[in-house]
Amino acid sequence: MELNKMYPIANAMVVFREEFDDWAVLFDPDANKTFGMNPVSSFIWKKLDGKHSRQNILDTLKEECEDVPAEASKHLDDFLSELEKRGLVGFERANQEG
Amino acid sequence: MAAETRVQNTPASLDIDITTRCNLRCSYCYHFTSASDTDTDLSTEEWLKFFSELKDCAVKEVCLSGGEPLIRKDLKELINGIHDSRMRFSILSNGTLVTEELADFMKGTGRCNSFQVSIDGAGPESHDIFRGEGSFVKAIAGLKVLRKHQIPATVRVTIHKYNYLHLEEISRLLLEDVGLSSFSTNSAGYVGLCRENKDAVQLNVEEYSFAIAKLLELNKKYNGRISAQAGPLASGKDWVKMQQALDEGKEGFPHCGFLGSCNGVFNKMAVRADGVMIPCVQLPHIELGRINKDSLKDVWLNHSELKRLRERKNTSLRDFSFCSACKFIPYCRGGCPALAYTLTGNENNPSPDACYRTFLNAGGKLPAIS
Repeated sequence: MELNKMYPIANAMVVFREEFDDWAVLFDPDANKTFGMNPVSSFIWKKLDGKHSRQNILDTLKEECEDVPAEASKHLDDFLSELEKRGLVGFERANQEG
Repeated sequence: MAAETRVQNTPASLDIDITTRCNLRCSYCYHFTSASDTDTDLSTEEWLKFFSELKDCAVKEVCLSGGEPLIRKDLKELINGIHDSRMRFSILSNGTLVTEELADFMKGTGRCNSFQVSIDGAGPESHDIFRGEGSFVKAIAGLKVLRKHQIPATVRVTIHKYNYLHLEEISRLLLEDVGLSSFSTNSAGYVGLCRENKDAVQLNVEEYSFAIAKLLELNKKYNGRISAQAGPLASGKDWVKMQQALDEGKEGFPHCGFLGSCNGVFNKMAVRADGVMIPCVQLPHIELGRINKDSLKDVWLNHSELKRLRERKNTSLRDFSFCSACKFIPYCRGGCPALAYTLTGNENNPSPDACYRTFLNAGGKLPAIS
């Protein structure tokens, strides 16, 4: 799958629960599973609306966050793949870059 | 040293009295004659509207109790509302109204965390005496229906004067005959109807000592499959550790020496059947606001009464004359605020109900622990 051409979108049945400051958890009520989210993961999750492409999310991350590491692109891909594997996110193919 | 008070943005779960009505009137019910006993049930629409707010607040779970939740004709509609609001649910019930159809429906939701049935005896005699004739047979039948439909059924045993001598038989029934993986115990606390029936219901110190010893013994025999957050087993476990720590001259336990027993106000809230928000189903007299009128998040973050309860954990036990010169202070967390309220008139006091020194001074004894 070419992630750059895909628009990730969060599973609407998954609960994004901001708990303290920018830390959050994802709660899947059907699987009864909870996943911890650090501030960067939380930042990314909020962009998973089907309107932001993977590249757009990466660019925004670099613009708005401090000390973004050089490996951020790979980390983002890994994170999105992990979310997809767990059924927490899907991908929509769109004609236009968001 | 005072600990920092951090609070989540919204409660993770809510305990909801979905009705004030019940088909039974158990002699130690915490609901009846308490401030929760309001004679008012909200409509289906009002609850569904509130569940929608819970969805916006990312609440993960609601626990439905009452009264008897299964008495509501619209229970399935309410559970569907919980499902649509992306939450899971638990139910506290007397078990007598469970039907095949309801169990099948709940199984179908895939969202039931637990369904707790109250069973107080190994047979009708010690169960029905306080819960009403015929209730044991119906509760056991309900429990079996739940298990047949693979609902995660649990059992709570309330220990009282007429069943404390039958703990072995009760354990055998639940863990061996019915085949539960575990069950929990408590004892009838001085709340609700128990306040007027305490002499008939509550254990005296000799009976309480017996129950502690027997439950510790049974819990060992059944490899920890009996649990408790209050009552003789919980007290016994805590008090044995406290005595051992004192005897061995150990420093205090973490978070002890303060009114730190209850963490409920840091992650959950409750709602009465009339829609009044409260800190806990056991503290129904503290009214925080009304659902669908006041914002849950605003109440949770800003209400002065919740802030006051959260500050309990910074209140030293040494500030209370009740604890004066007590050598167990470094190992003690002061007990349940609800029982402190009903027994002393102030939830920000230590609870005499949980006091090891009071137990010893009254002649209470712990079993010899190897």
